[in-house]
Amino acid sequence: MPRTSRFEGRLLIAPLTAFLIALLGFPLVLDIIYSISHVGFENIRAPELTGFSNYAKAIADPEFWAAAWFSLRFGLIVAVIQVVAGLGLAVFLAPLFAKRPWLIALLMLPMMVAPALVGLMYRLILHEFVGAVPYYLLEWYGDFPAFLGRDWAFTTLVTVETLQWTPFALLILHSSYAAVSPDIREAASLDGARGRRLFLNIDLPLMLPAIGITFFLRFIDSFRVFDNLYTLVGPGAGGSTTSMSIYIYQAFFKVGDIGLAVAASMLLLVASFMVLWVINGLTARKAPL
Amino acid sequence: MRKSLVNTLRWLVFAVAVIVLNFPVIATLVTSLKSEAEIMTNASLVIEAPTLDNYAAVFAMADRFDILHFLMNSLVASLIGSALAIFLAFPAAYAMARFGVGRSWLLPLAVNLRAVPLIIFAIPIYLMFQQVGLLDTRFGLALILCLVNVPLVLVLFASSIADLPLEIEEAGRVDGAGTLRLLVYVVAPMSLNVVAASSVLAFIYSWNEFLFGLMLTTNNATPVSVGASFFFAASGGGVRWGVAAAVMILATLPPLILGLLMYRQIGRSMTAGAVKG
Amino acid sequence: MTRLNTLLTSAALFAALGVTGAMAEVTVLGWPGGPEEAGLRKAADAYNATATDADKVKLIFFNRDGFFDKLAADLAAGSTDFDVNLLATYALGRYAPFMDPITLPDASKATFPEKVLATMQYDGKQYGIPTDLSLHFMYYRKDLVEKLLADADWKAKYGEISEKYLGKKLEPKDPDAWTWEDWMAMALFFTKSINSDSPTRYGTVLQMKNLLFNMMVWQSTARAQGGDWMNDKGEITVDSPAYRTALDIYKKLYDEGTSPKDSTTYEFAEANAAFGAGQAATMLQWNAAFGDLDNKDKTPAVAGKIGTVAPPAGPEGRFTHIHGLGLGINKASKNKEGAVKFLNWLGTPDAMVIYAKAGGSPALSDAVVAKVSTERPDLVKLGQYAGSYGFVMHGGTAAKALQVYELQAKEFTAYWSGGKSLDEALAAAKTGMADLLKP
Repeated sequence: MPRTSRFEGRLLIAPLTAFLIALLGFPLVLDIIYSISHVGFENIRAPELTGFSNYAKAIADPEFWAAAWFSLRFGLIVAVIQVVAGLGLAVFLAPLFAKRPWLIALLMLPMMVAPALVGLMYRLILHEFVGAVPYYLLEWYGDFPAFLGRDWAFTTLVTVETLQWTPFALLILHSSYAAVSPDIREAASLDGARGRRLFLNIDLPLMLPAIGITFFLRFIDSFRVFDNLYTLVGPGAGGSTTSMSIYIYQAFFKVGDIGLAVAASMLLLVASFMVLWVINGLTARKAPL
Repeated sequence: MRKSLVNTLRWLVFAVAVIVLNFPVIATLVTSLKSEAEIMTNASLVIEAPTLDNYAAVFAMADRFDILHFLMNSLVASLIGSALAIFLAFPAAYAMARFGVGRSWLLPLAVNLRAVPLIIFAIPIYLMFQQVGLLDTRFGLALILCLVNVPLVLVLFASSIADLPLEIEEAGRVDGAGTLRLLVYVVAPMSLNVVAASSVLAFIYSWNEFLFGLMLTTNNATPVSVGASFFFAASGGGVRWGVAAAVMILATLPPLILGLLMYRQIGRSMTAGAVKG
Repeated sequence: MTRLNTLLTSAALFAALGVTGAMAEVTVLGWPGGPEEAGLRKAADAYNATATDADKVKLIFFNRDGFFDKLAADLAAGSTDFDVNLLATYALGRYAPFMDPITLPDASKATFPEKVLATMQYDGKQYGIPTDLSLHFMYYRKDLVEKLLADADWKAKYGEISEKYLGKKLEPKDPDAWTWEDWMAMALFFTKSINSDSPTRYGTVLQMKNLLFNMMVWQSTARAQGGDWMNDKGEITVDSPAYRTALDIYKKLYDEGTSPKDSTTYEFAEANAAFGAGQAATMLQWNAAFGDLDNKDKTPAVAGKIGTVAPPAGPEGRFTHIHGLGLGINKASKNKEGAVKFLNWLGTPDAMVIYAKAGGSPALSDAVVAKVSTERPDLVKLGQYAGSYGFVMHGGTAAKALQVYELQAKEFTAYWSGGKSLDEALAAAKTGMADLLKP
């Protein structure tokens, strides 16, 4: 490669690089400094270096682990349900979409709504005296659960998240399903493969990479859940619906323990790099998509 | 016979899926069309006396909570945020695709950013913005929206530019055009499709962003995703559900309409963003 | 409309450029979403009618949810977005370092009683004008309680229910004579799942969301049993029998279904919605809710049928939590002169009369309250209750008082919702409070 184009190339990536340094690099440095300091709103500009006590505090805090476990469990459950539901819909409804592609637009709509607003909408829909869901359950079954109470909140949140983001899985898996060459399917059906067999032996293996990616993306997005959870229930009774993001937000804004909030952030960053490292390792071996 | 039965079942499943998945918006729309008194007495999905009073009430309380102001904040910040993301990512993507510069570190970095919970950076960004006076400004919010959108936009551009035929550019180079000229007059026009598709998606993501809107604004630059929650406490004597519902519908309409009109482009971008990322 | 548009466009341009124009007006950050806001708007209008352009007041409000957190962060950062900001008794210690003390004008000493001015003092300095006093009323449905007191069948049933659920046969009493036990019996009696004759679905509506304000509503229950945050020696006494009894009162009422199932996510607004729908017979709630609930246009189901008394009595007497809201000066303000002018005016009897008539709840001296007693009889009650039953917990104005409430909210809602045992919750609250309140 000629030197000039190398230079030009550097010039072209310079703005983006500068932007990322300013909005990610610098905050990262601040994060690191604050995480090893004793700092509150009172001495925000003059933090006192204290070593790793904030990390020790976060690691020793059972609520930190409860929040991590909440996010992990939430992310996994939601991702599994979404992939299964999205795959089922994508395959079952494929003939409809093939003839009328615009039908899928109606199923994509939930993704256009701000998750924060979805949370607020459910506050209305699930309210005992004004909401449609308790109204109809009362009408039909004479009773309804405490949707946002301790026993049900997790299920409710999983449902809310699933209903909004299954369309994403549906979309990706639909295009992956549609991309399976008809020739392969035809060849297989000539060999006598039908229905479920055809799907399990031919389509599914071909769709596996797409399924993996969908699962990963849905897991990531649900793991860092904040918006809808915050507007619908907040940290929940006794902190029972505290996700990792809510934990950090609470530590920063409510408790004013900036050091703890930032240390928890850094631990989260390390964790997500570890996950990425594993994923990258896996996909690198499987290689080209 | 059996085939038509299966087909009917397909339509049925489709209809149920549409209703269930869109239920929050449908139910909120229904509530927004009921009077305050009806909301308290009739929680069903059947409206006895439809009215637009709640929408009128939203605009009538502009001196307390100005919905137009919130909508405008979202519009301006989202437009700047998406445009900036494209502006920064486009040349970088070109450099990666054609010169290989930064492909080994900048691309993975930006792509992996999608997997990092952004709240990690929220606190230092808050403190940083305070220092430079960007707190509660539309531009400050737009910078963050840009950051949120960079990974997606970069991936889309990098893969689409790599797919462009090299011959036209080479012809241009032979004619003596510099890289900048090529970028503006040759590559950009050929990438308009991707620019359009990615900007729609970036705009929608920006419009719907909440966490940074909540933390980085107080009033002047509050986006509608955050502003809508203000209406939940708008009367003090209890939530005025009708008004709150009307606000949520108003806040949801812009991305919803965009979604209906541009579903093809959005779908393509989402798929490409996921698969290429 | 066109003016608004130009304004918005130019604002957009300015914001886009990251430029903020210098403003000569006084920006006031008020308490959003309630009658305080309505009152402040009217008062500001009156002030602006005579003020010069440079002194005109502009009001801003942001979300109630997370209000104090954001305010703390903004104040600490030296934000100049507002000149005058809200203050609360329980947050004085937290905000005082970032605010300027004020000198009270003589007029304000005639407007407010000494005890009320004291709700805005910290470390011997005055930090604000006390615009509102907040305390709690026991709201009840007059029509229902009157029927219960007159109807022999209902009375008999009331006796049965109290015997079954509380272990002793109780007679219905007038609300002003209720003990906490009487209130429990009422709540049980008016719950449909317990008493199929009950005209309301629930006997009460409890606010049990993990939110600091809900601890304030509840803690009168603990105080009436003799509970306090700490004793004179500075030892945390939150694990006292008084706290146990008071926590169990809510726990029992919730577990027996006398309050909606989602009560663990209820706060001010949701509770009012339940009471306003006519589906809850009693409610322990802020005095500020009365105006709207008694308004026929807003809540036709209950308007005109609401009675209010001070919270019930316990073995140690009858108590209501009190705290003041007020307005003071941001240390970083660029227009302190204008801010002082506005606050000086706000402390005058005339300003407070406007404020009170528009919905605010100031606790005023006898001479001033007389001027609004026809429009706002509840303000007379407010003054009386504050004087007779008001209390502030030992440590309730400490720098970390808000965090104490946050901590209690987390631990006590954990107990109520079944996530922790009483011992675990109290032990965690005690350790945490000792840390937060250590001198």
